[in-house]
Amino acid sequence: MDRYRDFSLGEFVWDKSFRNWVLNPTREDDETWQNWLDAHPDKREIVERARQLVLSIRPANASLSNPEKRKAVERIVERLEARNLDRSEEGHAPWYAGRVVRIAAMLVLLAGFGWLFWLRHQQPKVIGYDQLVAAAKVEMREVVNTTAQPLPVDLEDGSRIVLDPGSRMSYPAHFNGTPRGGGKREVFLSGKAFFDIAKDPARPFFVYANELVTKVLGTSFTVRSFANEQEVSVAVKTGKVAVFSREDPDATDKQISRELTGMVIEPNQQVVLVRKTVKITKSLVPEPEVVAEAGAAPHFEFDETPVSAVFSALQSAYGIDIIYDKNVMDECPITATLTEMSLYEKLDLICKAVDASYKSIDGRIVVEGKGCRNN
Amino acid sequence: MKPFTRPELRPALYLEEEQKLWREMLAGDVTAYEQLIDRTYDLLFHYGTKFNSDRELIKDCIQDVFLGVWEKKDALNSEIPPKPYLLASLRRRLHRLASRLRMDCMDYYNETDIVFDLEFSAEYQLIESENDSLLASRMTEMLNELPKRQKEAIFLRFYNDMEREEIALVMDIQPQSVSNLLQEAFKFIKSHWKAIVSLVLALPF
Repeated sequence: MDRYRDFSLGEFVWDKSFRNWVLNPTREDDETWQNWLDAHPDKREIVERARQLVLSIRPANASLSNPEKRKAVERIVERLEARNLDRSEEGHAPWYAGRVVRIAAMLVLLAGFGWLFWLRHQQPKVIGYDQLVAAAKVEMREVVNTTAQPLPVDLEDGSRIVLDPGSRMSYPAHFNGTPRGGGKREVFLSGKAFFDIAKDPARPFFVYANELVTKVLGTSFTVRSFANEQEVSVAVKTGKVAVFSREDPDATDKQISRELTGMVIEPNQQVVLVRKTVKITKSLVPEPEVVAEAGAAPHFEFDETPVSAVFSALQSAYGIDIIYDKNVMDECPITATLTEMSLYEKLDLICKAVDASYKSIDGRIVVEGKGCRNN
Repeated sequence: MKPFTRPELRPALYLEEEQKLWREMLAGDVTAYEQLIDRTYDLLFHYGTKFNSDRELIKDCIQDVFLGVWEKKDALNSEIPPKPYLLASLRRRLHRLASRLRMDCMDYYNETDIVFDLEFSAEYQLIESENDSLLASRMTEMLNELPKRQKEAIFLRFYNDMEREEIALVMDIQPQSVSNLLQEAFKFIKSHWKAIVSLVLALPF
């Protein structure tokens, strides 16, 4: 207690023991302080002032009346008792706390999880040509190309199909519906074939090739779908086709729709479906061809042409989106003759000339370069 | 001098008694449970109102805290001091509630939005001298200027008699951080005290 002899008012106010004596005194505290004050009567005044300050400066507390507090406390205890009562009324333990029930519930849960796991990890069903044909409701004709040459097949609607060696195709003796009268044209393919489909928007043409469904309104494209291969692919030459997987939950809607929904592919693009994972990816065909109308045969001769103009010429000739920064590429003029070259050779050359690079992403070509301000 | 109005003396074993109630309550004694609630209710309520002004909400939260304690009584340590534990539970509950409300509004607020907000006030009728009344009013103003976390630490330490470790538990921070908060608060109080005192009168510090 000796340290208090030289305490100032402020020191008393913020001394923890002093405050405790003022705010929450115990009998012992009180005795100690009273004794000290008796021994140091000159300190009485400062101690009393400090005491008053400590008592007067308090946190502003929301008022809580005694009845209000009482009610709140009782409510908690009542709630507790109500809970305890609920439990004891149901005997020693509620029915679901029994050991047998718990184990049974656990088994049910495990079985459930097991089933879910099995569902998730089940191999996607591999759908084959034979099953598809067997499931068809109408009478089918089948062509098998056992020769070493591509075999042309003409269908009654005017479409022509060129079947590669080792491939076979089934098609109905008669397509249901009439031209422009609705219905569907459906064929089944195993192997590889090039389709040149007669335009008939009212009767979309479907090619079922293993897991992949190709829907067209009138266009030409190649489907490759050999039973022993891991991938199924569709590559478009002209027009547009829509491709979707048979596993697609919306497959029915996509088939019914008059529009092309699903993954739409355009000339020089292809989709590849990996059969095991049912994963469809879109890319460019290995050798894109010029799709522009005959007669307007594009010529690829450029003389001090901004590279952006070259790209847009290629874009319209091949029907492939070429994405580039116009502001940057406008500054780069090139002079070149690019006829007689494949698309990729052309791109290689252009990019080399302007110090750029390109990638094929998702069926499009993306060009990146810093421009040639310094050239 | 006014008659020496002294608050009721607490028994010497006040805190030990609280610990005893806590132990008995954890052992399943409902009477001890009720007594413990009764003894800590004011503190919890006042502490709660520093975070939220909705009285009914705070009462509900306190109720949940106590019902939760009973629910978990087999798992709780009978030697931990009950007050800091209860305050910490209430604080957590209020925070959780606030963040849930925030999510409901799909609005983004900072975590610091739910803060301890405390006003100090002075009761002048307890003070005899006019000079000291002035002193009290200046001190109150100064305390109210303290940053909120420092205020909370001061509140717990000097108005609720808590130790550093207990404050750390309640505020969910390191004991060292509590020391830092208190030290900063004191630096602030001391530096202002001198100015106040010299302003009010030439009172010795």
